[in-house]
Amino acid sequence: MANVETSLKEAMTAIEGSLGAALVDYTSGMALGTVGGGKELDLNVAAAGNTDVVRAKVRTMEMLGLKDEIEDILITLGGQYHLIRLLRGRGSDGLFLYLALDKARANLAMARHQLRRIEAELEI
Amino acid sequence: MRRALKQLAGVRQPAAADPEVLRELRMLRSRVPHLTGALAVGAGGVLLAEDAPGTRTGALAALTATALADALRLAETADRGRLRELLVRGERGYVAAYAAGPATFLAVLAEPRANVGRVHLEARRTGARIARLAAGTNERPQEG
Repeated sequence: MANVETSLKEAMTAIEGSLGAALVDYTSGMALGTVGGGKELDLNVAAAGNTDVVRAKVRTMEMLGLKDEIEDILITLGGQYHLIRLLRGRGSDGLFLYLALDKARANLAMARHQLRRIEAELEI
Repeated sequence: MRRALKQLAGVRQPAAADPEVLRELRMLRSRVPHLTGALAVGAGGVLLAEDAPGTRTGALAALTATALADALRLAETADRGRLRELLVRGERGYVAAYAAGPATFLAVLAEPRANVGRVHLEARRTGARIARLAAGTNERPQEG
């Protein structure tokens, strides 16, 4: 099992093309941890903004009457992928992992696979 | 005339709301969902502008000023530097206050489901803009 810091660092180093990663509490919109990012990518802004994305999707599913769960959300930009993975399991409800990837360097299938593995090992 | 008005404004009057500050507060409320009220408070607890329907803003302004004075001392005593903000979470939501210049602050009310990360981001920006507006009126009374 890995703690928040280790997991985020793992996401940055093990996933090709990573630009930044954050663990976000979407009940408050605040980040529990961030790694990477920088001037072009403020991860606290990303945490707050993507909280609204997750909440909107959760609400939409409720309105549609879908009795299902969100596994992940992919946002494709011109030059980046943004991957949001909702956490499940004890003590990790209401959290998501956020990962920004350089589209030119990233392998999306591999990134999703790795992120799933990192989530499974994460201990909050 | 304008000069006279601005000088009068410098002499701390609890007069009509500052329209530019009020616009900032309205913009803040429209940008952040579940943000139910915002007020800008100047030196001595004087209300500069408010956009907080259904709230006793006078009492809130005065009490927030007192709480901020304590928080300021707390931050200094704990060697955390100059106070930037104060967040109170109750069962039915949040009260937050943000320093906006040397003698001005911005207080906001939000529902429990508000996105606090977003409230912080937007309120800090609004606070910075209010600080500039407050500095503009106090420091350049000779203009115009």
